[in-house]
Amino acid sequence: MSQNKQPTKYQILRSIVLVALAIIVVRLFFIQIVEHQSWVAKADAQHTLLETITPKRGEVYMLDKGDPVAIVLNQSTYQIVIDPAVTEKSVIEDVMKEYAKDYQAADLDEIYGQEGLRYAIVAKNIPRTTAEKIAESGAPAVWLKKTNQRVYPEGELASGLLGFVNADGVGQYGVEGSLGNLLAGKEGLLKTTADINKVALSIGNDNIKIPAEDGKNIVLSIDRSLEKGVEDLALAEIDKTAATNASVLVMEANTGKVVAMANLPNYNPSDYGNVADASAYVNYTTEVPYEPASVCKNFAFSAAINEGVMLPSTTYFNQGYEIVDGWKIQNAEQRSILYGTIDMKTALYWSLNTGSIHALKLLGGNPNSITQAGREKLYDYYYNKFRLGRATGIEIIEAEGFIPDPNEGWGRDSVYANMTFGQNLGITMIQTATAFSAVVNGGYWRTPTVVEGILANNKIEPLTSEAPVEDKILSDETSAMMRDMLVNNRNYKVRAGIDRAGYAVGGKSGTAQVIKDGAYDDTMSETVGTYIGFVATEGELPKYIIMAKMWGEGHYLDGGIASNLFDTVSNYLIDYYKIKPGA
Amino acid sequence: MHKNRKHKSDLIILFATLGLMALGLIVIYAIGPMRANVLNSTYGTDYDPNSFFLGQLRSVILSLAAFFLAFKVIPYKYLQKYAKPLMIAAILMSAILWVLAKAGSSLAKCELGECRWFNLGVVSFQPAEFLKLALIVYLADFLTRKKTEGNIGKWREFWLPFLIVCGASLALVVVAQGDLGSGVALIAIIFGMMLMSGIPARQYLIMIAVVLVVSVAAVATSSHRMQRVDAWIATLTGSESTDSTYHIENAMMAIGVGGFFGVGIGNSVQATGYLPESINDSVFAIMGETFGFVGLFLIIAIFGLMLLRILKVAEGTSESNNRLFVIGVFSWMLAQVVVNIMAMTSLIPVTGITLPLLSYGGTSMIFIAFAIGLVLQLSCYTSREVIANEDISSRRGVRGSRYSSRRRSS
Repeated sequence: MSQNKQPTKYQILRSIVLVALAIIVVRLFFIQIVEHQSWVAKADAQHTLLETITPKRGEVYMLDKGDPVAIVLNQSTYQIVIDPAVTEKSVIEDVMKEYAKDYQAADLDEIYGQEGLRYAIVAKNIPRTTAEKIAESGAPAVWLKKTNQRVYPEGELASGLLGFVNADGVGQYGVEGSLGNLLAGKEGLLKTTADINKVALSIGNDNIKIPAEDGKNIVLSIDRSLEKGVEDLALAEIDKTAATNASVLVMEANTGKVVAMANLPNYNPSDYGNVADASAYVNYTTEVPYEPASVCKNFAFSAAINEGVMLPSTTYFNQGYEIVDGWKIQNAEQRSILYGTIDMKTALYWSLNTGSIHALKLLGGNPNSITQAGREKLYDYYYNKFRLGRATGIEIIEAEGFIPDPNEGWGRDSVYANMTFGQNLGITMIQTATAFSAVVNGGYWRTPTVVEGILANNKIEPLTSEAPVEDKILSDETSAMMRDMLVNNRNYKVRAGIDRAGYAVGGKSGTAQVIKDGAYDDTMSETVGTYIGFVATEGELPKYIIMAKMWGEGHYLDGGIASNLFDTVSNYLIDYYKIKPGA
Repeated sequence: MHKNRKHKSDLIILFATLGLMALGLIVIYAIGPMRANVLNSTYGTDYDPNSFFLGQLRSVILSLAAFFLAFKVIPYKYLQKYAKPLMIAAILMSAILWVLAKAGSSLAKCELGECRWFNLGVVSFQPAEFLKLALIVYLADFLTRKKTEGNIGKWREFWLPFLIVCGASLALVVVAQGDLGSGVALIAIIFGMMLMSGIPARQYLIMIAVVLVVSVAAVATSSHRMQRVDAWIATLTGSESTDSTYHIENAMMAIGVGGFFGVGIGNSVQATGYLPESINDSVFAIMGETFGFVGLFLIIAIFGLMLLRILKVAEGTSESNNRLFVIGVFSWMLAQVVVNIMAMTSLIPVTGITLPLLSYGGTSMIFIAFAIGLVLQLSCYTSREVIANEDISSRRGVRGSRYSSRRRSS
């Protein structure tokens, strides 16, 4: 090789070095400076882990001799999460076969058929012990994610009151639905840079962690053992009769506190999908307005007595029926000894519709006919004082119902005549029981409550700072006269030995016709039986209000059947609370 | 032996070598724990967080030993004397590995179906790296001999043995070991040395054409290699991401995120499992994320400077054998640096090849350090005249060069 040729070849090599490196530098300038932002955006999309931190759902408690006892708890279960790009299909198949056969939540073929999928939940609801075994097995690229599941140690108890939590973790019906926001708490947020295995890294400045706020633990005013006892009694009564359903409310007469709220039959909240239809979830005590029938005579009578236009001893002429607006309204009880002049106490005892219509007439100032003033007065009592057809303010979902306007529409007199014995209106059991409390407790209407408070640090704190309504709507005298008549109503129960000596048990039945094809079914082929009453030590104010409702499609179920349920519950209460007999 | 009197070695090559090794060590120190963590959680392995750093530290210590051994202890002429036995030993080693792998012996270490390493218990050894060095030593001797004999370019005396040795080396590395990256390095070595050997230009160009045709055919007939080309075209045209484009996309993402100044040491996110091979073949991309454009520019400048200085050593080396050796080492480094970086920046399809002195890896670093050590040894015997007559462009920026003056030009 000649000496003058060599430098040319070195120059070629030198040029190759410089050109190659120059191309690289230009390329790098393009990627790192020109395209920098777009690569940062792509990297953020790849690196950022955005996760909501699920708060712990609040637990639900009932009371047991005044102490909170959990009846809805959370249980940690686990999900298997995989990154299909990293986890071999055969690996996850083995894990599933070995440990999680019963918990499979997705089709593996489908998951592995999806291009670019990096996150998939393949199994759910795995118990902790099994999850630990999977973790110990050390299967690569298989992650376990903790989730919470609702558990109900008391099984079906009070399911209509409690509701359930659906698969998405959202509370449905009952307390779970009504107080869902309180129970759910607030989700937290985790925004962080993560490695390829979705493990958060401490790299990066815009990491965000907002901790989750756990849900509140709610203590119901319901007494667990009493609830259980009442439910068992109601079930027994359903078995004995043609009824398919029963609802029972037990309230403290002087506080509005609900201590038992039963809707039978119950369902299993942890298997909530397994019911015939959604009506199984309904809480009939608060959500369904109906016609409690003659139970409402208490309200018409109280109104007239409180207005000073009537006394239990006030008399009227009973001919067994009354014609209003051209309609013949009959008494259910037509025995001959009741014809003629009788007093109101007798009318209430025999539940005579003519008696309550007479009370309406007296309210209007004319003992011979229903007047506008009478209708307005009754409306004032029903709607404004007893708050019937209005939400009571109880903490759970409730319906309003309706009370017809005293001056609008057709046949107002007959509508109002019907209202005196609890038809032509729609009111809920909780409205009825709360109003009835006022009738017998000395005249105080108090907001009913089913929530004792929130459990925090072993202390029960009030749910709201809002003061409950306490409204004196009837005089002491009115209330006392009503109590007397209601106790008198149960004379035959005392004679039968059902009501024990030393106790004042009062009550009133109601048998409501069911509207069929737009009119009351006069054949009485299907009726709803209701009974409402109170339990007291003789000579003292009532302690508890009990309201029972029994029904079954296509069956005649009168107030007498409901009163049998009342009887067993009232005696159970006396024993359960060890209510002392009077001297 | 040396016509020129011994003088000081090329300090730029020396410091560039040490500097790159140190940089590689620092980066592996920062990302090694992430690598261990990803492997442990993904594959259930049990790597200590420091195991990759300690591995690299061991490689660096062994490489430094090899480097100074070559630089100060072993005269190149001894190696030259054993050129033929070395070549035979290197080819035999690769052949034995192939046989062991075929026999399923545990002495052959395989990864992803390719058997490139001897498993020697605590250490593994990659014969392809030894083969590269041996081929350089052998070809330097062979080409010089044939030139002296006047046989260069002749079929029986020159091309037949040349093609047998080069063909066998390539076949063992590319076919038996499936190591396309080493194959590219070998081809670069062969053509770089041929260029300086006095082979007639026509024959040289025919050889280039033959290799091009064979390469295209090899790529086109292999679905695995075609896939890489497809993936490369996909990333260039911005087509939809697939599993095949994942590697290169994440390499570019790492580089792109680095921006001008980089995210800083220890802040690489791409190294936490997103970028495959983050500590070996893709370390350049992680350095791009960590040190940004400024850092990569400096690294490229160091490599460029080193390559130009090695070229200058060759230029100043009067003895053909020595000069060809230096050109061989130059070609080797150039191929590894350019192919690795171009693959990471999607200028060419992905080829598994390490970045000299920076990538995690034992054998490759030890042998290239040894080769650079020999270049440094030979840099002590360059002649003044050639350097004095050098082109000014190659001297630009080389401050403190002993024999050149900025003001002088030719």
